[in-house]
Amino acid sequence: MENKHQVPVTVLTGFLGAGKTTLLNRILTEQHGQKYAVIVNEFGEQGIDNDLVVDADEEVFEMNNGCICCTVRGDLIRILSGLMKRADKLDAIIVETTGLADPAPVAQTFFVDQDVANKTKLDAIVTVADAVHLSSQIEDHHEAEEQIAFGDVILLNKIDLVKDEDIDVVTKRIRKINPFAKIIKTTKCGAPLKEILNLDAFSLKRILEVEPDFLDSDHDHEHDDDITSLSFESNTPLNMEKFQDWFGKLLQTKGQDILRTKGILDFKDQNDRYVFQGVHMLMDASPMGKWPEGKERSSRLVFIGRNLESMNLREGFENCKSA
Amino acid sequence: MTADVNQFPALDKTKFEQRGIEFRLGIPVTTAVSVGNSIAVGFGDGSVRIFTSGQSSDAIKAHKGIVLCMSKDGNHILTGGDDGRFLKISLDGVVTEIGNFGTRWVDNVTANNGSLVCSSGKIVYLWSPNNKEPKLFEHNSTVGGIAFDTKGKRLAVSRYDGVTLWKKDYTKKWVSSNLIWKGSHNKVSFSPDGKYLVTSMQENAIRCWRLKDKIDFAMSGYDRKIKSFAFVGETSYLATSGALGMGVAAAICWPFDGEGPMGRQPTCLSYTGNNEVTFVEPFPSENAIFAGLSDGSVFLSEIENKNNTIIIRSFTGSEVSAIAVTDDSSSILIGDMNGNILWTSIWDK
Repeated sequence: MENKHQVPVTVLTGFLGAGKTTLLNRILTEQHGQKYAVIVNEFGEQGIDNDLVVDADEEVFEMNNGCICCTVRGDLIRILSGLMKRADKLDAIIVETTGLADPAPVAQTFFVDQDVANKTKLDAIVTVADAVHLSSQIEDHHEAEEQIAFGDVILLNKIDLVKDEDIDVVTKRIRKINPFAKIIKTTKCGAPLKEILNLDAFSLKRILEVEPDFLDSDHDHEHDDDITSLSFESNTPLNMEKFQDWFGKLLQTKGQDILRTKGILDFKDQNDRYVFQGVHMLMDASPMGKWPEGKERSSRLVFIGRNLESMNLREGFENCKSA
Repeated sequence: MTADVNQFPALDKTKFEQRGIEFRLGIPVTTAVSVGNSIAVGFGDGSVRIFTSGQSSDAIKAHKGIVLCMSKDGNHILTGGDDGRFLKISLDGVVTEIGNFGTRWVDNVTANNGSLVCSSGKIVYLWSPNNKEPKLFEHNSTVGGIAFDTKGKRLAVSRYDGVTLWKKDYTKKWVSSNLIWKGSHNKVSFSPDGKYLVTSMQENAIRCWRLKDKIDFAMSGYDRKIKSFAFVGETSYLATSGALGMGVAAAICWPFDGEGPMGRQPTCLSYTGNNEVTFVEPFPSENAIFAGLSDGSVFLSEIENKNNTIIIRSFTGSEVSAIAVTDDSSSILIGDMNGNILWTSIWDK
């Protein structure tokens, strides 16, 4: 996978009015000299200034692969496959989603379609959030919450319109949903583009580099359908067979509620680190070389999802420890 | 699926390559269509070239980005592009715009009894010979493929969750019925006798409907998405791409004679190597197909005598993306994603 040329695809998501198009136009004007294709939908808020704009409908369909939550964006398969036939090669592709879009089908498209996976790669999901309205949007629209849960980078935008203490509240709220995301506070989406583009956030290598940022959150105000995250760590090596059995069944039965998973695993009698990441039921996993010398081996596992408390995750994880 | 393996000497130029003409244009070939004894080729830079007797015309500037699809209408070609334009092009390079859909791609084009037809987004547009404005056929999701039956009476439109079948009722009004199967349906085709309808799906399978009773079934077991399929021969086989075995690339051919393919085994036309068949093209008037592979090689195989397999083109390192045979079956053009083109005569002089 690593040695062939894959065009990076950045997904811009975020609720209506958060500033997606502002960010998009910044990328397109500041990265001049780069050849971008931009995939938008017809309900876009403002005009986009680029040579190569493709209009798409966000068409989500379910795969017939026995996996109930495996929905993919059919329009992306069609358009990305088409763009790969271009004579002049693209430097990058940007997909702007509508305000109410669930990012999961976009991410799953890159797991499911082989042509798409061969020639393009999901670089990162960038979520633009409106600092003024995010808290209420999360309360009222599950899509707003999902967009935070899937973000690799979250631009907390319009902070000039919010008091400092309110910024802290909304930041904590984001952290509770998503401990991985890099949060960048901006006005008018003014973040350095190098923190938004070419992040390779979906590569397994990157998982080794990103330390999740967990807050001690109180669970008082949680509704059952709130998205939260849970993480587990162990210095006792895991039994590979037990882990595969538990984790496989877990994704199969609870994959709809589990939005994202990431982990680094230390299996007994294995020299290599195992790294994985998943979106709902779909997973990408691979041994990623030996453990660094002098560093203690440990397993770390993070879940982002709904109803995580009901899944007995800690018990399941503890049972995977090798005797 | 099992297959007998035909062994070929690797890397030597075939006699077809030796007597043919090779072009290295460096522009991805996206599609090719025969028009009489010429072959029109569409490219990933939006241009079209007409090849006649091994000579290439100058590039005809057709689309801005990519020629996405191509068909023919008499002695003209029809193209759709990522610039949203639906074009009619004469063999001497005169371009006429039939429709323009802006930032929406034109994904399918075809002609039927003088009418020009394309799809863009969820809509199929049909221009009758005497009408300036097209007739619109609307669907709930983006159109994957369009096909008329051989008589031109019925129009099949594949989309999400099945196929819409359009035909004219006794008042000459178009009416639709639905063939339902969940999932994304890409290309669509009627069998030559009009009794069956097949689609290629996102899930490495062909879906087939027997139209008299709408019984539907799958033809599956493929390793990859089926990018190319075609009906071939008098007994009518459906030849398909998408199979990749252990050291064998195979074109899978399903029998559509008699009671059809249900419960019957396909014929596997195979070639050694760890490659995928990416393109299949019938050899007109023969019970044989040309199969193009992901490494650029092409073999010709008779369906009912699979030991009679010839290698036409050897390895180029780039996926075969188009094959077309001239209408008199004398010459073949093969194109790949790196823009390598072979034009050669099929028969020994």
